[in-house]
Amino acid sequence: MGKFNKGKTRALPALSTASLPDIIFMLLFFFMVATTMKEVDMQVEVKKPGASEAVALENKDMVDFIYVGFPTDADEGTQPRIQLDDQLAIDYTQVAPWKLSKAREGKTVFDIVTSLKVHEDVGMRVVSNIKETLREIDAVKINYSADKR
Amino acid sequence: MAKRKLDEINAGSMADIAFLLLIFFLVTTTMEVDAGISRNLPLKRELPPNYIPPPVHDRDVLIIMANSQDQLLVEGEFMDIEDLEQKVRDFYLANQDGRDNDIKMPMWTRIDGSIIATEIAKLKDAIENGPADLVQMNKDDLAKWEKRKIVFEEVGPYSEISNSALIQLKNQSNTSYGLYIEIQNILKKVVNDLKREECNRRGWKNFDDLDPEDDDDAAKLEMLQVLVPERIIEAKIEI
Repeated sequence: MGKFNKGKTRALPALSTASLPDIIFMLLFFFMVATTMKEVDMQVEVKKPGASEAVALENKDMVDFIYVGFPTDADEGTQPRIQLDDQLAIDYTQVAPWKLSKAREGKTVFDIVTSLKVHEDVGMRVVSNIKETLREIDAVKINYSADKR
Repeated sequence: MAKRKLDEINAGSMADIAFLLLIFFLVTTTMEVDAGISRNLPLKRELPPNYIPPPVHDRDVLIIMANSQDQLLVEGEFMDIEDLEQKVRDFYLANQDGRDNDIKMPMWTRIDGSIIATEIAKLKDAIENGPADLVQMNKDDLAKWEKRKIVFEEVGPYSEISNSALIQLKNQSNTSYGLYIEIQNILKKVVNDLKREECNRRGWKNFDDLDPEDDDDAAKLEMLQVLVPERIIEAKIEI
């Protein structure tokens, strides 16, 4: 009897962190699979409208995006602005040359969908002007970006 | 010399490397899925200067106006957005049985083999012998009748809403894009519902299961495009 080591406190064995990388890698792979690369840095704020009939946009490298919204930079004013790639456009007349410059090999402008990502409070004047210019250059396939509700 | 045992590589910093990668991906990517409503704008067509378009009957056009205060005027009457879906549905279906139930809504026509044959022959003749500046327009029309022929060969004689039936959208410069999308969404919803019903009636696969990648399904989608036409025109913004 009395063989218990009451006096000595045993040191806790060090917690093995060997499997930590595995856990992190798992998280990493999850994010790599579940997310997509951001296309551009947003210069305008876009709160997309909701639509029950919205369907997922496929084959995104065959789509050009036009953003219309209110500038995040206060120096740019409060009027809705058009963002093409990483830059704010001066007005809608820049849309046609931009769209033509984005042509893909072996595809005509007609084949490439233009996705309009427009803030829901923006007036139709801007949108209508953009559509009219796109129609002029035969880029008639449009996708009105909306959140699926 | 004594063989030295290889030291184990210290994997302690592996976690750091993985963290670094993880954070990089967290920052540069988004979870957002791109979704939206697809539409085709009408193609630009040069009309001959002296061309008089065929008369369009009032009953064939559903005019949806949205003003700068985001109010709706449908066929000249104020309407709540909630009632629009039913109105559009009525526009499509009011005279579906071929009788004149509602004289303010478009007629339906019966399409059969003889009508298709005469129309196609007429258009082919017009392309060959008619005025040169109308050739493109006749070709467009011919393409539409060729599509009807395909449908006819598949399902037999069928009824179709008047081919001049169309929905016209009018906006003002401050009409909000949100309302515009709501209207577009309703139009899409009605058409999708009608296509669903059409699929059920003809004993086809569920509309939502049709896969555009599959040849057979793609043909069905093409036919639905003829059976439930989606003709939307947008007026220029005036004010």
